Amino acid sequence: MWFGSCNSYRHMQKSQPRENCVLQFKPEFYRVIYKTSADVKKIHISGLLIIKKMSDNSTRILFTNEMGFPFFDFGFGADSGFTVYQITPDMNKKYLIKTLRKDFELILFRNMDSTSSYTLKDSQLVYHAYPQTGGGINYYVTDIPCRHLVKMQRASEKKPVVEASFPGNIYGNEPDSILIRHLNFNFTISLKKITGLAAE
Amino acid sequence: MLVGLFFLCLSSRGQYPGYTEMKNTESFKKSFIQSTATTESLQADFIQEKTMTMLSEKMVSSGKFCFRKKDRLRMEYLQPYTYLLILNDGKIYVKDGQKENKISAGSNPVFRQVNRILIDCVSGNMLDNPDFQYRIFENAGSWLIEFKPMAKNLKELYKNINIVLDKKDFTATAIGMYDATGDKTVIRFQNKELNAQIPDSQFNIP
Repeated sequence: MWFGSCNSYRHMQKSQPRENCVLQFKPEFYRVIYKTSADVKKIHISGLLIIKKMSDNSTRILFTNEMGFPFFDFGFGADSGFTVYQITPDMNKKYLIKTLRKDFELILFRNMDSTSSYTLKDSQLVYHAYPQTGGGINYYVTDIPCRHLVKMQRASEKKPVVEASFPGNIYGNEPDSILIRHLNFNFTISLKKITGLAAE
Repeated sequence: MLVGLFFLCLSSRGQYPGYTEMKNTESFKKSFIQSTATTESLQADFIQEKTMTMLSEKMVSSGKFCFRKKDRLRMEYLQPYTYLLILNDGKIYVKDGQKENKISAGSNPVFRQVNRILIDCVSGNMLDNPDFQYRIFENAGSWLIEFKPMAKNLKELYKNINIVLDKKDFTATAIGMYDATGDKTVIRFQNKELNAQIPDSQFNIP
């Protein structure tokens, strides 16, 4: 029992990657606005998170509060690269930026190097593993027939540290809701798509 | 109103089309102080437009605004999402859906400063705020006051904050916040009611 709790993935069988399985669930964020709340320990922050695919195929993620006060504006390059366009002084902490970057990279399905990928399998689920540069592994977890994306995980070598999912409907690969939950400390980000906000 | 909004747009030379910069602002300041001294409260509907360089569309939201002297403010967003902000006696209360957050005076200084700006814009204290330098412009129907932040943390966020005042009653017609990145947020006030009785309960922080 003790050994089991030490390594969440130890009991699984390793097998060859099934890349096409995961890629069918990759979200496409052309231009979407989410009502967003983040709970960090006892602090609650809310606002609007805009995800937009730019003409150069990069992805911008901008977070403001409801009154238009900007929290951060991040850019994810078409293939790789990351830019902080803006961040409020209160949030301008290296560890926080790194954490948010990795969280968003997980839900954006980035850094998926097929040459190093593999799969793990238990009796019900398949864990599609993508080792990350600089350490850690991103897992995209599906049912065995690969009909559903059950969850996403950011993990150390032994156990998950972040779990994310698309709990609502998905229209045209654009998730209605996104949930990101840190397992090693109290930090949850919840996004719910809103309509009727943007106007010419 | 639309004319006022148009003039919130900053021209490339830092001037505002249709507006002339006032060289002697003393008489304006005197009248402004006299007028705001008689303003006990202001309530209005508001429409907020956020324009971002990365989006081709504006993000538009609307709700109810209440201010009561000396420093009580309530902004309630009703469309297309609900969000409530109350400032009372230096405390900030935020309700987002079912979640509540009380922010003490000492925490999140930038957020507090930005909210303070809103109160100062409406109450008339903005001209005394040492964190900003200002210039005053006028046309036939309104004044436009351009505030440039001096404090480092505000400079990183805002290029300038503009307020348009109606010449009829010195009330704010619009407040424009211009981010350092080129984005802007403009809050327009409509159906303004001066010195209405606004109950304490509107500003209660539970």
